Amino acid sequence: MPRRRVAVTGLGVVAPCGIGLDEFWKGLQGPATNGETFSVRGFDAEPFFDNPKDARRTDLYTQYAVAAAKMAIEQAGRPDYDPLRCGVWIGTGIGGISTYESQIRALRDQGPRRVSPFMIPMLMNNAAAATVAMAHRFQGPSDSTCTACAAGTHSVANGARLIQDDRCDAVLAGSSEAALTPVCIAAFRNMTALSPQDRSVPFDRNRDGFVMGEGAGVLLLEAWDLAVQRGARILGEILGGASTADAHHITAPLPGGAGAVNCMESALEDAGLPPGEITYVNAHGTSTPLNDQAEAEAVVKVFGTDPAPAVTSIKGVTGHGLGAAGSIEAVSVVLSMLHGQIPPTVGFSEPDPDMPSIDLVHAEPRDWRPAPAISNSFGFGGHNGTLVIGPGEG
Amino acid sequence: MLGDRRVVATGLGVVSPAGSGLDAFWQGMVGEPAHEPKDGVADFDAGAQYDSPKELRRSDRVIALGLAAAAEALDDAGELGLDPRRIGIVFTTGGGVGTFRENVFVHDEKGARRVSPFAIPSYMPNGAAAQISMRYGLQGPCECHGTACSSGTNALGNAARLIAAGRCEVVLAGGGEAPINEAVVTGFDRTGGASEQGLCRPFDVDRDGFVVSEGAGLLVLESLEHALERGARIYGEILGHGCTTDAHHITTPDPDGTIAKGALQVALADAGLRPGDIRCYSAHGTGTEFNDSMEANLVAEIFGTDGPAVCALKGSIGHAIDGSGAVEAIAVLLSFVKQTLPASKNHRTLDPSFPPIDVVPDGKSRKWTPAPTVSANFAFGGHNSALVLAPYE
Repeated sequence: MPRRRVAVTGLGVVAPCGIGLDEFWKGLQGPATNGETFSVRGFDAEPFFDNPKDARRTDLYTQYAVAAAKMAIEQAGRPDYDPLRCGVWIGTGIGGISTYESQIRALRDQGPRRVSPFMIPMLMNNAAAATVAMAHRFQGPSDSTCTACAAGTHSVANGARLIQDDRCDAVLAGSSEAALTPVCIAAFRNMTALSPQDRSVPFDRNRDGFVMGEGAGVLLLEAWDLAVQRGARILGEILGGASTADAHHITAPLPGGAGAVNCMESALEDAGLPPGEITYVNAHGTSTPLNDQAEAEAVVKVFGTDPAPAVTSIKGVTGHGLGAAGSIEAVSVVLSMLHGQIPPTVGFSEPDPDMPSIDLVHAEPRDWRPAPAISNSFGFGGHNGTLVIGPGEG
Repeated sequence: MLGDRRVVATGLGVVSPAGSGLDAFWQGMVGEPAHEPKDGVADFDAGAQYDSPKELRRSDRVIALGLAAAAEALDDAGELGLDPRRIGIVFTTGGGVGTFRENVFVHDEKGARRVSPFAIPSYMPNGAAAQISMRYGLQGPCECHGTACSSGTNALGNAARLIAAGRCEVVLAGGGEAPINEAVVTGFDRTGGASEQGLCRPFDVDRDGFVVSEGAGLLVLESLEHALERGARIYGEILGHGCTTDAHHITTPDPDGTIAKGALQVALADAGLRPGDIRCYSAHGTGTEFNDSMEANLVAEIFGTDGPAVCALKGSIGHAIDGSGAVEAIAVLLSFVKQTLPASKNHRTLDPSFPPIDVVPDGKSRKWTPAPTVSANFAFGGHNSALVLAPYE
């Protein structure tokens, strides 16, 4: 069956460098964020919920998603489709982990009667998808992809597929994470994944690990024809995507970025585009020695060097949003299309002599004529995700 | 329809309190379960799933359950002879909740530096899918999809679509859960839905809630074309999948059941079948007041008075949360092979306030002529899911 085109008509974002599209876009320009973790500052959940009680009965990870989804709907206007044709696909790396952590302590220190009746519905990985569906009465398929740091990219791709395959007319797609808890930070620290100096400097020769971030990104996707019919402003298009596995190691990528190559090539094939059409790569670029090296090698293998696509990682200002990263980055790519500008890789200062030469945007933003772009995410467990995003028309 | 290609099941693997391994599991379906569901898979040897004690320590029980189910399913399916990039995995779970809880204690008692570097890879819900992909070198899509108690059924539907759309030739699909620890069990108790008598009595007048249990089920789903080409044994076909969302309440199903019915209607339309074609309904049947009442009415309304036999298996398998849907689908496929419908353990007397649905009672497994079957699950969060399975013709 012919697949339907997928328009992006609304965006919402909650990130350490800014809440809402304007603040987020400003934050992407720098300066670098500081701290042991890059947390979202000044977030108030209540305005995004019907009442304060509903907000209290959700985990922070759900609150971020609810906020981002509401922004996306407000930007696009709620489409008047059959609710059973409206879906939700909101992924996460580890769901309501702060709830789980605090309830384990509540049980240990205060006994079973002090455990919240909402513990399970707050911690479950589908809580954000379910709560967003309730907020907007989206009653079609709702699901959540949990593929660690690739969850956001996979969720947007899976959400888009609901429209491509004619199962939905509109989908709120994205992901969310709020894992800045003492035990999670310690676990990532002891894994030696985090930068000992708390510096997120993607592709820099002095990079030594990532800095944990958090937040959410949500895109309102609609069937292109229906979005045109209702007069919605089309901000961008989801052209395709891919999901592959390294099947190699739980935390390290395949040498030479072979898994990333396979994933990017599959995504281009899915979108029906040759590599030469891609002029911008929004990198996973976590600032770890292994990821950035493998990703740079993979980008060169897939796209060559002449001409080379522009490459940016926004993790110098967002940190690594884990499951939220992919959707926050997808939002940034669509914003780049609207602004005609690619944000710089904040934090980068010195090229790595061992890395193949990529055309990294750094120091200042670069003007760009919107064209098809890709956004990469690679997760612990060897999960690879690539999304192909095109500009809207008109 | 799911897509352009037909999808069949050619391998099964199961670890369950009802019985682990297909033979023992089937014995549990028609006779007594190997273990009380509340005790979990009491004799499960997690260590046997690994080459070394070190690997075992670096893993969570749910990953071990998944590895055991994967080993059986892949062995059962036989040689696939495929490019590993054409084989995907969809394994759903809430994650390694036991490992995380232990690490909270380590953190608080011994300090942050003593938290395991493997706490995240063991806890992350994609951990089991990732470990299975690594063990067998599977390089297609490798994802964990979460919709709580309906995850397993949606995982099978999502996986079948990967094949139907031509994105994969084979997908190892299912899910598992290992939630039996004090924190999670208390959390479920506090929702008010757990059984105080510790017995799941689906659709019974004396039911008082669900019983949290554990287990894993995995199915080798394959394109019909490829299965025929390699001469694989075919258990049955996935004909359709539907899912909808109540958008009503985070833990209580919409009593009206309209949206839940929508999931079944979508699945039937997907399969190109009418309600009258369905001769068995594998129920969610958690034994809670609200679910079973909603579900009994839904079955009566969709299928009418001459409706399908209803098998509610959670009396024997317990509620394995994300694992339930796959384990139940395996029971359905085995019922095709054995030409026998499993009994609904602990179901004796239909709640008289329900419409007269035909629940196969405890101890009364019955012969049947295999026919299209619906397997349904409904979840916290309002996620409704239904799968249509049928004998291969």
